[in-house]
Amino acid sequence: MEQKVKEIMGDVLDLDPQAIDGHTAMDTIESWDSQAHINLCLCLEQDFQIAFTVAEIEAMLSYGDILRVLREKL
Amino acid sequence: MTADTSTLGEMRRAFQAALDAGDLVEATRSARSLLSTNPLLAAASFIRHAVDKSSPERLPLTSVRVALLSSFSIEFIHDALIALGFLDGLRVELYQAGFGQFRQEILNRDSGLYAFAPDAVVLALEGKDLVPDLYRHDVPDAADLNAAVVEAARELTNLAEAFRERSAATLLIHNFTPPTWRRLGILDGEAAPSQADLVAALNTDLGRICRESRGIHTVDYAGLVQRTGALSWYDDRMALYARAPITRGALPELGREYLKFLRALTGKTKKCLVLDLDNTLWGGVVGEEGPQGIALGPEYPGCAFIDFQRAVRGLRQRGVILAIASKNNPADVEEVFASNNHMVLRRDDFSAVRVGWNAKSQSLSEIAAHLNIAPDHMVYVDDNPAECDEVAHALPAVTVLPLPPQPEHFVRALLEPGYFDSLSMSTEDLRRAELYEQRDQAEELRAQSDSLEDFYRRLEMEVTFAPVDNSSVARAAQLTQKTNQFNVTTIRYSEAEVLERCTDPDNLVKTVRVRDRFGDNGIVGVMMAHGSGSEVEIDTLLLSCRVIGRTVETAMLAHVSEYAAQRGARRIRGRIVPTAKNAPARDLYERHGFQSDPSDSTEQAAWSLDLSTGGIQYPTWMKVVSETG
Repeated sequence: MEQKVKEIMGDVLDLDPQAIDGHTAMDTIESWDSQAHINLCLCLEQDFQIAFTVAEIEAMLSYGDILRVLREKL
Repeated sequence: MTADTSTLGEMRRAFQAALDAGDLVEATRSARSLLSTNPLLAAASFIRHAVDKSSPERLPLTSVRVALLSSFSIEFIHDALIALGFLDGLRVELYQAGFGQFRQEILNRDSGLYAFAPDAVVLALEGKDLVPDLYRHDVPDAADLNAAVVEAARELTNLAEAFRERSAATLLIHNFTPPTWRRLGILDGEAAPSQADLVAALNTDLGRICRESRGIHTVDYAGLVQRTGALSWYDDRMALYARAPITRGALPELGREYLKFLRALTGKTKKCLVLDLDNTLWGGVVGEEGPQGIALGPEYPGCAFIDFQRAVRGLRQRGVILAIASKNNPADVEEVFASNNHMVLRRDDFSAVRVGWNAKSQSLSEIAAHLNIAPDHMVYVDDNPAECDEVAHALPAVTVLPLPPQPEHFVRALLEPGYFDSLSMSTEDLRRAELYEQRDQAEELRAQSDSLEDFYRRLEMEVTFAPVDNSSVARAAQLTQKTNQFNVTTIRYSEAEVLERCTDPDNLVKTVRVRDRFGDNGIVGVMMAHGSGSEVEIDTLLLSCRVIGRTVETAMLAHVSEYAAQRGARRIRGRIVPTAKNAPARDLYERHGFQSDPSDSTEQAAWSLDLSTGGIQYPTWMKVVSETG
């Protein structure tokens, strides 16, 4: 799952997937703006075939948060 | 199909490598496989970033500038639109207005929209944003819904007119979906008026606005949502949270719908449909089952093939040229056409037929040469994946449409991509197959003639030059959009742009109609020139490939020469902008006595003709008619 999340983040945020780690967060990544965030959530939903609640979308503000929310759901 | 992460990684690397090498054929191939895997959205983002970073010089993509105006957040479509556009050979450059800013953007002459100088503008409005009362679940106080619809139609009319005053770009306006949930529940259908009726009335008004204006078209959003189903299309969560009402899965579909328009605008509309026969037009193999034994008739699966033949016939009625490439015994095929009463398509619906045992790519090349249609404008349909592969590799320019395994899905496979969709339907389109027949007769005459001049004389041509008017503007714009071979500059014009050119009295804008002993070829050419001081400059001169090689181009230059003489001009200038396809037009100026113009600093080949030597004369073998406006 980690690898898939990194791939998707890499695609959407135009990052090198290898460089994504615990420090990768909305606060630190310039390309991760509110529009890219919605885009990222939509791509994660499509790839993992799930649907986030608005509360979950608002909680997934870093790579770590995304993994945490996904583990709860999957 | 789902691909695992490592396969996807490989496909990505292949795509990036091809892109870096400037190999568009291979890059398109890998992009297509990437986008045919799930999930599409992330792959689209990846392709978009790579295309954005690629160098425009290295990739021969057609650039198209698109502005998106919307009443909701539509920016999530960007990646899909750019990635899918890449598959069509387009570099889609986007301008995104803030959501809900569409009025200001259109009305304010200094807005970012006009500064962007778009080729096409999408006005994506949701009904509930434009006419909120009509979509509410409760009855608004003192609401007059009829009046609200009339008011909305009036606003759309005003916006369309304001836009047209400020820009000659193509405007694409979404029509409106009915409310998913009706206020009166099961009674809505018999209410007078029902909510559904009111939305339909608004859509009718929008259709009228588009019909009565130039270069403004309806995006049938309602039809698109209906095909998908409103419950699968809309995402109530994102609608309320991010003002982004369209689900992730639906965004690429909307992008594909826009691309049908963008392809038509950039001359990428397909012209010719080449079909296999066995298990494509009928079930089974005629060589084995016999002309009466093939599956074609009222019972399944024969009825599925009848359905498909009707869809093909519908395309022919729209002006698509049909051809056959089949591996069969020719006598068997002729027998099916002659004696199987269930055949919807007739032998003479096909403008070229290749039945034999050659490679399919060989047959397609022959058909392309015979019809004088570039492979880029051909779609090849076959049920056999091996044949599809052979054609796709031998002729990468041909669009290959592999049929799904079951014949009941053929109609959808043929119609869904909208390959043949165009922005207007001219008399020439409706008569196209007949026009090709005339061309064949003329070619026969050429073969029988003793000399070229003898051929020209026996053709009994009448060439008519006419100013562009309301009845011909659609055809004139269409010719600039579709003509690739005999076209000196390949400048594309929308209808509105053509009309704009006509408003300047110093511009010569003429259509060219050719009649010959075999009939009326319709409008087959367009030319535009601009007079200034002692010079006349030709910037557009094009001719349909059906009438190349008959000295019509000489008459066109003679007409410009006549115009220049009337103005008292001393010189005609013209330039050739080389493209991959316009070889037939390259020597136009040279063989008419123009001199290469070394004073011109641009890289395009510039030519000029000194009129003091007498100018260019009309060929003596044709009758020339010059109509005035």
